[in-house]
Amino acid sequence: MDKMEGSFAVEDMQNVQINIGAIVKEVEEWDQPMGPFPYPSIATLRDWDFKIMNRYKVFYSPICDRCTLCTYGPCDLTGNKRGACGIDQAAQQGRIVLIAVLMGCTAHAAHGRHLYHWCLDKFGDLPFKMGDEILVDAPLTRTIAGIKPKTLKDFGPVLGYVEEQVSQLLACTHTGQEGSYLDFESKALHAGMLDSLGKEVSDLIQIVAYDMPRGDEDAPLVECGMGTLDKNKAILITYGHNLAGSAEAMFYTEDNNLWDKVDIGGVCCTAIDNTRICEGIGHPDKEFNDKYRMVGAKAKIAGAIGWWRKMVRGDCMDCIMVDEQCVWTDAIVDAEKYKVPLIATNEKIMLGLPDRTNDPVDEIVDDLVNFRMPGVVVLDPVKAGEVGVKTAIAVKPKRAEIREADPFLSEEDFKKYAESCTYCHSCQFVCPPHIKIGDVVRAAAEGNYEPLSTTYEICVGCRRCEQVCPQDIPILSLYAYANRDYIRNQKFKMRAGRGPVKDTEIRRVGAPLVLGTIPGVIAIIGCGNYPNGTKECYDIAREFVDRGFIVAATGCMAMDMSLYTDAEGKTIWEQFPGGFDGRNICNIGSCVANAHLHGAGIKVATIFAGRNERANYDDIADYILSKVGACGVAWGAYSQKAASIATGFNRLGVPAVVQSHSVMYRRAFLGRTDKREDWEIIDARDGSKVYCEPAPEHMLYVAESVEECMLMMAKLCIRPSDNNSGRMIKLTHYCDISMKYFGCMPPDWPIYVRHASDLPLKWKEDMMKELESKYGWEIDWKRKAILSGPIRKSDVSFDPTNIERKIRVKK
Amino acid sequence: MAVDTTKNPVPFEMAQIPGPEMAKAYNTAVIGAILKKAKRPLLVVGAELFEDPVMFDKAIEIGKTGVPIAATAHSIKGFVERGYTENVTMIGLHPLTNYLRFKDWQGLDGKGQYDVVIFTGIFYKFASAMFSALKNFNRDIKRVSIDRYYHVNADMTFGNLAFNPDQYHEAVDEVIAKLKA
Repeated sequence: MDKMEGSFAVEDMQNVQINIGAIVKEVEEWDQPMGPFPYPSIATLRDWDFKIMNRYKVFYSPICDRCTLCTYGPCDLTGNKRGACGIDQAAQQGRIVLIAVLMGCTAHAAHGRHLYHWCLDKFGDLPFKMGDEILVDAPLTRTIAGIKPKTLKDFGPVLGYVEEQVSQLLACTHTGQEGSYLDFESKALHAGMLDSLGKEVSDLIQIVAYDMPRGDEDAPLVECGMGTLDKNKAILITYGHNLAGSAEAMFYTEDNNLWDKVDIGGVCCTAIDNTRICEGIGHPDKEFNDKYRMVGAKAKIAGAIGWWRKMVRGDCMDCIMVDEQCVWTDAIVDAEKYKVPLIATNEKIMLGLPDRTNDPVDEIVDDLVNFRMPGVVVLDPVKAGEVGVKTAIAVKPKRAEIREADPFLSEEDFKKYAESCTYCHSCQFVCPPHIKIGDVVRAAAEGNYEPLSTTYEICVGCRRCEQVCPQDIPILSLYAYANRDYIRNQKFKMRAGRGPVKDTEIRRVGAPLVLGTIPGVIAIIGCGNYPNGTKECYDIAREFVDRGFIVAATGCMAMDMSLYTDAEGKTIWEQFPGGFDGRNICNIGSCVANAHLHGAGIKVATIFAGRNERANYDDIADYILSKVGACGVAWGAYSQKAASIATGFNRLGVPAVVQSHSVMYRRAFLGRTDKREDWEIIDARDGSKVYCEPAPEHMLYVAESVEECMLMMAKLCIRPSDNNSGRMIKLTHYCDISMKYFGCMPPDWPIYVRHASDLPLKWKEDMMKELESKYGWEIDWKRKAILSGPIRKSDVSFDPTNIERKIRVKK
Repeated sequence: MAVDTTKNPVPFEMAQIPGPEMAKAYNTAVIGAILKKAKRPLLVVGAELFEDPVMFDKAIEIGKTGVPIAATAHSIKGFVERGYTENVTMIGLHPLTNYLRFKDWQGLDGKGQYDVVIFTGIFYKFASAMFSALKNFNRDIKRVSIDRYYHVNADMTFGNLAFNPDQYHEAVDEVIAKLKA
């Protein structure tokens, strides 16, 4: 029955059992009082958003100067003109940003909703337990909803809340609704927060239902790369983000002892989630637990999203199961062309295929194996899994026969195509990473395959080059042919997604993080649209692990950084331990798992600093903004989900750096260091106003090169709360990265100096001289002390806040 | 004979069609004259200069005429290596454009907002978006590109010379000559 609330008359009721709901129980089991903002609506946290936007100016770079959304249009908004409805260019950009963030938010929340229904159907209402080392077990749910879930069903109202808010927010984008860019952005920040909540719910449900690791720093190392797929077996590729069907394929394979006949390789985040199954603390269903313990380690990571079309052209699959999100929508075109049967397993992606959910398995398999249809929809995950495995095994010999008669690309074809290039450069006009494709193909025609090899990892697999080629050269196939040895040998190890950060880890790193002696948390998240290849994922991670930062990765960047090794042949996961600590690198999990990075920030505030998180979002975000040195990077950001992820981080006070293609998101949050008043912070001890150094200086920043990205990330970990030792460490890394990649000191280092002991030891003397001679600071050389000059003095007791209600005693 | 920089005015990424107002491709004499006439010009150079190092030397030549240089991304390294940092400032393109769009910004030297910005050597999509930000939100600044691409959101640009480096270098030399004249 539908949920009923309020008071009810019980007259005339007989044989009725009344269950008292969770609210009474809640009061008994959680001693934290309800905070000020349970289930915040659109306007609830608007003040906090405006505080963020007052400091970090909303910056728009329109991609389209027109509005074409209503029949009055197209309206020309160039130069911030207003359209017929009255909207100006800034508000129109805010509107588009909100729509994009909502797309991302709904993708994650709808993923969670699907898993919620499916897992309740499959497993029943399991107790929500994260193990003894994770007691603050659903930090975003607690902070936003103000509830503490006890079973999977408790996440139902949380998803309901997200869905209701999304509906309200989407309504605001209709013509004749919101007209202020600031309010559009406040709404986008709200949607970003909802996105983080939806992700948390999604991942927690699957962690419990599929018994995934709960903060396991020793999660198994799993096989990663196209070369790990065993061509002696049938290869079933599961592609997308939602493991429901894919997991069933793995269970079917296990139940029927078919692992010697089939390899299951994942693409994009389904890959990561496959490899987490049944590696946790034990499933409550003993039979399930006994049957499938560690089954996840048998699945393989075929690759991240950017490798999809390269896998297709590299002939790396016999059957495809797609689920949802980030699936290239021409997957069925490729499937048909290369005779790889495709099974669509989720209502979100049905690709015009017939729905065969209610047909017998063997009939579906027979149709697919005999290529009577290129693909089918099977919405029952159990049936889809069985169809996938059976089809892969049965179709493999048929595909081998076809390939023998008609190979993907022969040596002769390769030469013919390469020689047909007219060097018109149409391909280079559309290549996102600006590969000089004409030169590459011309070299290939002359027998030099090296450019095809050296640019293979830079190619993002978008296939725009093929779309514009007047000669119809299958450029990705030329790449696949020239790189066939590389594809065969692409064999690496990646640590399976470990899930949330443990409370014990937060206790260990809380103080050093807030004081700055661990220089920061670097959160590396998602996607595959890199400006200069996958190697930069590894470079970013390695740079910061080596420097003692806590490095945590999720999604496609975690997979892509696995493709490189050190001199000893070890991947980054084999080089460093997997804890949430300095000089560690942890793979948190898939795209939805990056909610645990938000969670880690919340846990620092609540476990280390003792703040109540319950329905207390702005207080927690304020703490993180001022005191937790963390910075996200999405170096391959491509999707609307990346927009919602970054926006969610921003509302929680965590800055993010993205790559140069990310100007397509149109909006950034950038600080102005020339506006002293923007950096006024309250000292919570007495309510006095303090002008602070700009830390963090920006909230959402596009970097032009990976070098700039790394420099900015180091800078954006600086916080007002750093003690002298912490600031010295952070400034050392900031200046050292600058010297390493820029050949000089960053020009703004002096603004972060409050005291002589903030100065990096390596350059202390020279810096003091420069402060005196160039900037006119007063130095007492006898005591090696700074007498005047800094924006503010160092004060170990300074308690920075942006929220008036945090003032303890008014001055 | 001067390089014809008005040819091929097609956005380097072909789908970059912003709307009714699109850049006009000018010849080098006109662009050079605009730079010379500018009261507060700023040359903005990016990391693509590392792929075409001779452009660092050309940027320095422009710098020596008194035009200050904003070195975005890690391009400052190219100037440091060449021993020229006189009027070169290291700054990210994103914060720089954010400052440029505010009329009250006092510039890298504290002497006032710029009246002409000249972009070169910046990743195409990023430069295009930053031109767009100025086109929409601070139209007091003239947007000039002397890059090898047709820049659709600039006021003044070359046509596409991306596939003809010799002609491109010659075109930049012509602009510099005009600036020095």
